[in-house]
Amino acid sequence: MSISLSHLTKRYGADTVVDDVTVEIPESSLTAVLGPSGSGKSTLLKLIAGLESPDEGRVVIEGDDVTDVDPRYRDIGFCFQHYAPFRHMNVARNIGFGLRVRKQPKDVIDAKVAELIELVRLDGKAKSYPAQLSGGERQRMALARALAIEPRVLLLDEPFGALDALVRTELRQWVKELHRQIKVTTILVTHDQDEAMEVADQLLIMHEGRIEQAGEPTELYERPATDFVHGFLGPTTMFKGVSVRPHDLELVPASEGAIEGTVQSIMELGFEVQVTVALSDGTAPWVQMSRNEFRNLHVEIGSLVSIRERD
Amino acid sequence: MDTPAKRPSSELGAPPARKGWRRFSSRARSSLGLYGGTSLIVGYLSIIVLIPIAAVAAHGFSFSIHTQGWGAAFWHWHLSTGFATFWNDITQPAAISAIRLSLWLSLSVAAINAVMGVAIAWVLVRDKFPGKWFLEAFIDLPFALPTIVVGVVLLFLYGTASPLKIDLFETWMGLMLALLFVTLPFSVRAVQPVLESLDGESEAAAKSLGAGGIRTFVWVVLPSLWPAVLGGFGLAFARAIGEFGSISLIAGGLGRTTTASNYIYNLTQGFLWTNAAAVSTALLVLSLLILIATNVFARRIQRRLA
Amino acid sequence: MNHTTRKWSLRLVVVLYLGLLVGLPVGYLFIKAFSHGFHAFWVEVTKPDAIAALKLSAEVALIAVPVNTVVGIGAALMLARRKFFGSRALTLAFDIPVAVSPIIIGVALVLAYSRIGWFGSWLASHGIQILFSPIGIVMATMAVSLPYVLRSVLPVLIEVGKDQEDAARTLGAGAFRTFWQVTLPAIRWGVLYGVTLTIARTLGEFGAVLVVSGNITGKTQTLPIYIFDAWDQNFDTIGSFAGALVLASISIVALIILSTLRARERKLHVDLA
Repeated sequence: MSISLSHLTKRYGADTVVDDVTVEIPESSLTAVLGPSGSGKSTLLKLIAGLESPDEGRVVIEGDDVTDVDPRYRDIGFCFQHYAPFRHMNVARNIGFGLRVRKQPKDVIDAKVAELIELVRLDGKAKSYPAQLSGGERQRMALARALAIEPRVLLLDEPFGALDALVRTELRQWVKELHRQIKVTTILVTHDQDEAMEVADQLLIMHEGRIEQAGEPTELYERPATDFVHGFLGPTTMFKGVSVRPHDLELVPASEGAIEGTVQSIMELGFEVQVTVALSDGTAPWVQMSRNEFRNLHVEIGSLVSIRERD
Repeated sequence: MDTPAKRPSSELGAPPARKGWRRFSSRARSSLGLYGGTSLIVGYLSIIVLIPIAAVAAHGFSFSIHTQGWGAAFWHWHLSTGFATFWNDITQPAAISAIRLSLWLSLSVAAINAVMGVAIAWVLVRDKFPGKWFLEAFIDLPFALPTIVVGVVLLFLYGTASPLKIDLFETWMGLMLALLFVTLPFSVRAVQPVLESLDGESEAAAKSLGAGGIRTFVWVVLPSLWPAVLGGFGLAFARAIGEFGSISLIAGGLGRTTTASNYIYNLTQGFLWTNAAAVSTALLVLSLLILIATNVFARRIQRRLA
Repeated sequence: MNHTTRKWSLRLVVVLYLGLLVGLPVGYLFIKAFSHGFHAFWVEVTKPDAIAALKLSAEVALIAVPVNTVVGIGAALMLARRKFFGSRALTLAFDIPVAVSPIIIGVALVLAYSRIGWFGSWLASHGIQILFSPIGIVMATMAVSLPYVLRSVLPVLIEVGKDQEDAARTLGAGAFRTFWQVTLPAIRWGVLYGVTLTIARTLGEFGAVLVVSGNITGKTQTLPIYIFDAWDQNFDTIGSFAGALVLASISIVALIILSTLRARERKLHVDLA
């Protein structure tokens, strides 16, 4: 195990932001810490980096207990939500900062910086200052700066949060690709479940300072351990008194022995169609289906239909 | 054992660290820095400000500590008639008249500049005309100019040999002019940012409801400006009541133009330190009280607006 | 009264008030100086007493400004980056020197450190004299110019945030390197602003210095005191005027630097309070 956290707890006054977190993060994985804002996920990241110190518990990285080690000596690459570029240094000097701290010879630094600039596709920007870069470029510079010290662990705090939608999807793919190349154990914090499902090979769901569930994305999606995980990872609707995924329900023509109801509303979202059905027991579950399924169903508002769980 | 590729830090080497330093936990080092730094700063602050101010108050009440040789660490406490002496010192007719003069001058100066401050800030923020930047630059001038320079210039301009034939030497008007000059930036700069932050939407709303310009100003703009105006008033008052340099020359040597700070200075020239301490204490308490009062009042208004 | 008349009368009132109150005296200072001719001015400022006063002022500034800059930056770092018990009180204590009359600051220093003061006899027994000496002048100047660096740097430090410093730490930088290579460059304009204010205040300080200095010509006279003394004691109005002109020129240069810096950094403002 690359990182293991045991009984990690952090309090701010009366608030327990991180509450008795025990978790193992596998070597070379790309783990996403997913949770709503205020769930303590950023604090957890800072505890691993040493930028915050825990009230209780230990942080072990590759077998070394680093709980009382200064962030300087943890060999961690940290990317901040707003990138924290050194604004008075150009891209090359930003990236080379950690190497200068480690008193590397100038030619080693230059070679390494050039290599990283190419890796993060900032060719030609070496002499630019952060103010002259776009958000995505700044993000990539911050990544290169963190990677320069060849960290044991890469920590990304809401790495795509401050970017616009188009750049965000592009950068997600790129980070995934980058991770495939360099295989450094990476933890990223996000509140966006699509982002987490897309990028990560391990998920860690946090809620109110606690870990709700950890595991592979599909496993969590299919076998959520708690209602919170179930609700957080995808859409849900109430059917027969339990929470189910709306794509696990289906509508069939009325009078086939299933529960009957009246179509209350129809929302067509391109490929996907959401149909809400009012049942006689007063509940109104909604069903997610493809456009084709909807066409074949021939229903409109007011139609009588039957609803059941898919096989 | 991990491969070098997975433990690349061994290749680059750890960041340089002083020997032994790493043994302290990061938390221990961080509190060491906090306590070390804070005690240095508090120490410096105590030596140059806090202890001396305490000494004034103590001397004002004739309460003194004499150190009799540090080695013996022997402190001799001496408490004499205390409040009686203090009261006697500050109720001297000359002291009373000096404090009274300072009080009414400072209050009127702060009031005049509060009104003018709003007018000036209004013109600087809302009006546009060529040469406005020049006015803007003027505002800070009284702050940047050393007070004695203001004193010399005003004495030249309004002294006995006034080229304008306006002789304000040894008159309250001369004092007032000097005080208006030095307190001007406080009144303007307190109001200006607040006026800038008002977006004009509520004004537009008031006008659309048929309110005239003056009515809009009084009923819509002024209520949001009040805390800032009061804040500026407090600052100007505090500055005026303590002011010395700019008025020291034009005040001359007459009793009726001797302000509180002038009076204290005169006492020090006669080496009457205990009397000086008593009047200083009174003045200190007075200006702190007014400052606190305006602060509390301004905060209360702010809360009502929020 | 219609809108236009109101606008013009307000302009007129403001321009007249500023013109008469501020413009007239300051303009007069420079006009008068030139009417005497540059030569007369030069003769006055090169008198030995004037030179000595200028020198003492410069020496005092050379000690007080660096000390207050270091203390101000240090205190700003503490207040911006740490939460600790008493931080509110510390901020307040830094503001005392501007809320209190400089004359009282002078009296306070005398009552604490002169022969008649709390620590006077002990200091005297160790050969340290505060009253009537340059040490007293330096202390008085330090006290009155204390808050300016803190007040200029603190808002900039809060605006810049802690992230760059944290980033430097995770990259392995120690406290010193982080300060010199990351924090200081980020707040440099704020520091320069505060230092300029401190210099202006240091060179111009009058009341507090007058009380502690004892006003000994050529020995404990700073430039402001020389100006005062030339007029008050020696009736040397031209000498006094020349000195005032030197100080006024310095403060106008300071003012230009300040407004240039303000144009760069919006967080900076003349927070005179």
